[in-house]
Amino acid sequence: MTNILIALVVILTIAALVQLVRVNELLSEITNKDTNAVTDDDNKKNGILFLLTIPLFMGFVVWQMVTWDHLLLPPASSVHGAEIDSLMKVSMTLILVVFFILTPMLFFFAYKYRGKKGNTAYFFSHNNKLEVIWTVVPTIILTVLIVYGLKTWDRAMNTNVSDATVIEIYSKQFDWTARYSGLDKVLGKSNYRLVKGKNVLGVDMLDKNASDDMVVKEVHLPVNKPVLLMFRSRDVIHSAFLPHFRVQMNCVPGLSTQFAFTPTKTTAQMKESEGDDFEYVLLCNKICGSAHFNMQMKFIIESEEDYNKWISSQKTLQNTLTLK
Amino acid sequence: MNVKTVKREDLDKYSNTEDKRLVNIALKSMLFIGMVAISMFFAGLTSAYIVRKAEGNWMEFILPDWFLVSTMVIVLSSFLLFFVKSRLKNNNSVFGLVCSVLILGLIFSFFQFKGWEQLISEGVFLTGEGSNVAGSFLYVLTLAHLAHLFGGVIALIFATVNAKLRRYTIDSYLSLKLISMYWHFLTILWVLLFLFLKFL
Amino acid sequence: MSDHHHKETFITKYIFCTDHKMIAKQFLITGMFMAIVGMLMSAIFRVQLANPGEASVLYNLLPGGWLNEAGGLNPDKYLALVTMHGTILVFWVLTAGLSGTFANFLIPLQIGARDMASGFINMLSYWFFFIATVVLLSSLFVESGPASGGWTIYPPLSALPQAIPGSGTGMTLWLLSITLFVVGSLLGGLNYIVTILNLRTKGMSMQRLPLTVWALLITAILGVLSFPVLLSCGLLLLFDRSFGTSFYLSDIIINGEALHHAGGSPILFEHLFWFLGHPEVYIILLPALGIVSEVIAVNSRKPIFGYKAMVGALLLIAFLSFIVWGHHMFMTGMNPFLGSVFTFTTLLIAIPSAVKVFNYLATLWRANIRFTPAMLFAIGTVSAFITGGLTGLILGDSALDINVHDTYFVVGHFHIVMGLSAIYGMFAGVYHWFPKMYGKMMNKNLGYLHFWGTFICAYGVFFPMHFLGLAGLPRRYYTNSNFPMFDGLSDINEIITFFALAGAIFQAVFIFNFVYSIFKGTKASKNPWKSNTLEWTTPIERIHGNWPGDLPVVKRWAYDYSKPGMEDDFVPQDVPLFEGEKEH
Repeated sequence: MTNILIALVVILTIAALVQLVRVNELLSEITNKDTNAVTDDDNKKNGILFLLTIPLFMGFVVWQMVTWDHLLLPPASSVHGAEIDSLMKVSMTLILVVFFILTPMLFFFAYKYRGKKGNTAYFFSHNNKLEVIWTVVPTIILTVLIVYGLKTWDRAMNTNVSDATVIEIYSKQFDWTARYSGLDKVLGKSNYRLVKGKNVLGVDMLDKNASDDMVVKEVHLPVNKPVLLMFRSRDVIHSAFLPHFRVQMNCVPGLSTQFAFTPTKTTAQMKESEGDDFEYVLLCNKICGSAHFNMQMKFIIESEEDYNKWISSQKTLQNTLTLK
Repeated sequence: MNVKTVKREDLDKYSNTEDKRLVNIALKSMLFIGMVAISMFFAGLTSAYIVRKAEGNWMEFILPDWFLVSTMVIVLSSFLLFFVKSRLKNNNSVFGLVCSVLILGLIFSFFQFKGWEQLISEGVFLTGEGSNVAGSFLYVLTLAHLAHLFGGVIALIFATVNAKLRRYTIDSYLSLKLISMYWHFLTILWVLLFLFLKFL
Repeated sequence: MSDHHHKETFITKYIFCTDHKMIAKQFLITGMFMAIVGMLMSAIFRVQLANPGEASVLYNLLPGGWLNEAGGLNPDKYLALVTMHGTILVFWVLTAGLSGTFANFLIPLQIGARDMASGFINMLSYWFFFIATVVLLSSLFVESGPASGGWTIYPPLSALPQAIPGSGTGMTLWLLSITLFVVGSLLGGLNYIVTILNLRTKGMSMQRLPLTVWALLITAILGVLSFPVLLSCGLLLLFDRSFGTSFYLSDIIINGEALHHAGGSPILFEHLFWFLGHPEVYIILLPALGIVSEVIAVNSRKPIFGYKAMVGALLLIAFLSFIVWGHHMFMTGMNPFLGSVFTFTTLLIAIPSAVKVFNYLATLWRANIRFTPAMLFAIGTVSAFITGGLTGLILGDSALDINVHDTYFVVGHFHIVMGLSAIYGMFAGVYHWFPKMYGKMMNKNLGYLHFWGTFICAYGVFFPMHFLGLAGLPRRYYTNSNFPMFDGLSDINEIITFFALAGAIFQAVFIFNFVYSIFKGTKASKNPWKSNTLEWTTPIERIHGNWPGDLPVVKRWAYDYSKPGMEDDFVPQDVPLFEGEKEH
């Protein structure tokens, strides 16, 4: 019934519009004007609308920046993340400056040079000097940006970190599991064909490095200590996204990827500044199936003391997987 | 490829689109561009091959002898096509030539199948138990070429019929020219693929 | 002299027509139809995002199995909608609908040719496209649903029906459809290139070509070089899905079952896919920029500023577009050095893009602007190109991409450059060439209403998305309500949905105007915009062979607007140089 009503409303609206337009055209036939010719008046109206666009559009952008600033991610909680944030500030400032110059210019020109009968446009077909200037200047600016960016990228991508805690992040439809490498700091080998029963990660228990590994569903990390995350996937491409640390890396079945970072703020510190319900979280950031929107794992950054307390209470695979 | 970039002083010599000669040139150019597109398709496959091979876990295979024979067959078939122009100039029938090319094309296809048979007997499979991605690439590349050759064979059937009906004259054999172009392309493509698979 | 005395039946005139003008309209109508379908899909998933899990009257449009008991949208069908929306808009609307329409319509007319080099192949290109459309739409009604792995169809998700239902029959139909689509596109591209290079009329040298034709030529070349790689990419995926090969698949356990695939890499797929994927966005953008160059020049009554620089910029963008594809893959674990190379090339492509923007601004400077609806959209295109292009600088920088990759920041960026910039270019083209296509004028006031409504709503939809992205919200999420950290973003999602639905309604104004004007629009004059290009020298009642007598002979470039010493503020290309006049 609702569908019929909706269809009826649509049809009647169209019929009304047809009549409106038809009346408009008949009127113009009577007055002998061409309704579709663009007049000076039209140019003036649209020119003014473009002029108005400047404060309204720019105002809208500023309004968004001001109103939603508090919703954006807080400053990064990692070493490389702080560098990324600086690069972001510089880049954003650059593009905002360019945006706030070029966009009003465009709309102002549209207003200022709106057509009037009797005006003539200025036949100005090219100017090589200008072309050179506005090619060279962006090139220089972009080169600086590129060099800055590449330096930041190199440092972010560096996984050659000595003394890092090595943790495997295992992704599957639709959850995360983490495996700590334990005291020997080496993860036991794994093979997808070994996944059976409790051995959810397919760890090769014959590998001597595997016995001290610990499998957890919540990651704890000591603050200010480097950590190397190694990623695997069981089924499809997932992506480990830790937005607060500026960490992201695809988890690809059949491959192993990694990302190293050093957390700099504890969860407790973040709760103070961001609110009591703050948690560091790992999310999936590559379309992976129906529950792609709900793959989450908590990350807790704490003092070294608290971390040691926690990790000593975790069971190793020796205890959970092998028969005693 | 006939690209006409007109110089100012030549404008008067430039005729308009009613010129059949221009339409002929256009069709040849279109086929040429089509061949560029098909080459890009194979470039995608061969690039994938190179990238994957570099990652390891790659079974080394030996190309079946049948592929060497089929290479010679297709080169011969292309060679035959070079005699079309002179035969037409002397007002002779090209039926024999074109029919031979068609038959050689079919023989080529047969040898490709024999080659695949030989691969299977040597344990190189497309898929399934005991297969390796190297073998998969080998089959896909050769199959893709054969699929494009199939189009050429169909065109050759039409050409053979036309040749029998004496429809080609020295002044009017555009469709045969186009088919020849495509056939030469298939030959070159196969030779390049063969060398690629053998040495890379 | 054209001698088209063959009898025309309804079938030869409208269905199996080889006349480029009719084929262009076939592409346009099909493209517009698919745009409506794609837009309705986005309305539906935007409603889901504003009111997660709740029922909505819009969901009545969907097939039955797509909803849960509560009447809300199923999560995997949300992904199906997102996938099909992307596929339809990127390929069907912005590639076929934009290039297919304007390349077919404008090329022979603007270069002074009777028709395309091969009308028959041109007709085939449309019919391949049509069948591709039917196949794609049929996948919507398959029980397991249409393809649901994103328009980028990464395996293993797109290879395994067990991973998501849409990767079954729906994905197979998607692959079949895209193959037909690509073949159709290539057939068209062949015609465009050869026609432009070989069938220009007397006097039409390459340096006298309108920028629109240059853009369409370069686009066609881009297509010929990049689309086939999508086919090779898809062929290997087909083998993995149907024949058990391991090109892209390895080490997979799905639904508890360990699969046999070994040695494959999904990253290989990504390389092949994006090798097309990146040039594809320029295949979308360049025709729009070409159209806009023409519309801005004609309506500014000034030459397009820097014609040679504009051509050079098009060529440089096209060349660079082949070496930036890795910027879609920064987070795949690629060698960081490779990532650096792609950052470098990606930021380079900003330079010719900037040059084009500055040239457009210089064209408007000291102009005498006539605000036709086409001109409004052309200015909208430039605005969106500035906005969207600038955010590209953030995304192209690999270090910054770490935190914005696959978030709403990306969604905002590509919608502004494609969904605003390119679509506005398409609208500008339709409004501008409608009189030539249909011999009638579109209603000007409805055009104004359409522009201003769309302009406001579109920025209202996509600008806020940058903030969602900087807040860390990933794309392709069924809802943001499962993570406390995103709770504060619901308001933004509601605002976006509001503007999206409002924007959709403004498009109805356009559709109405378009259809009404075809039948009841006021009759157009031969050259209503007082333009210089050759298409406006043809008679209003379009004929086969375009010109009733001899073909026009070109004497000058396309941009003699307000040339000093001329009587009128425009001088068509076929007007001979006057005594003492020097060619520009």
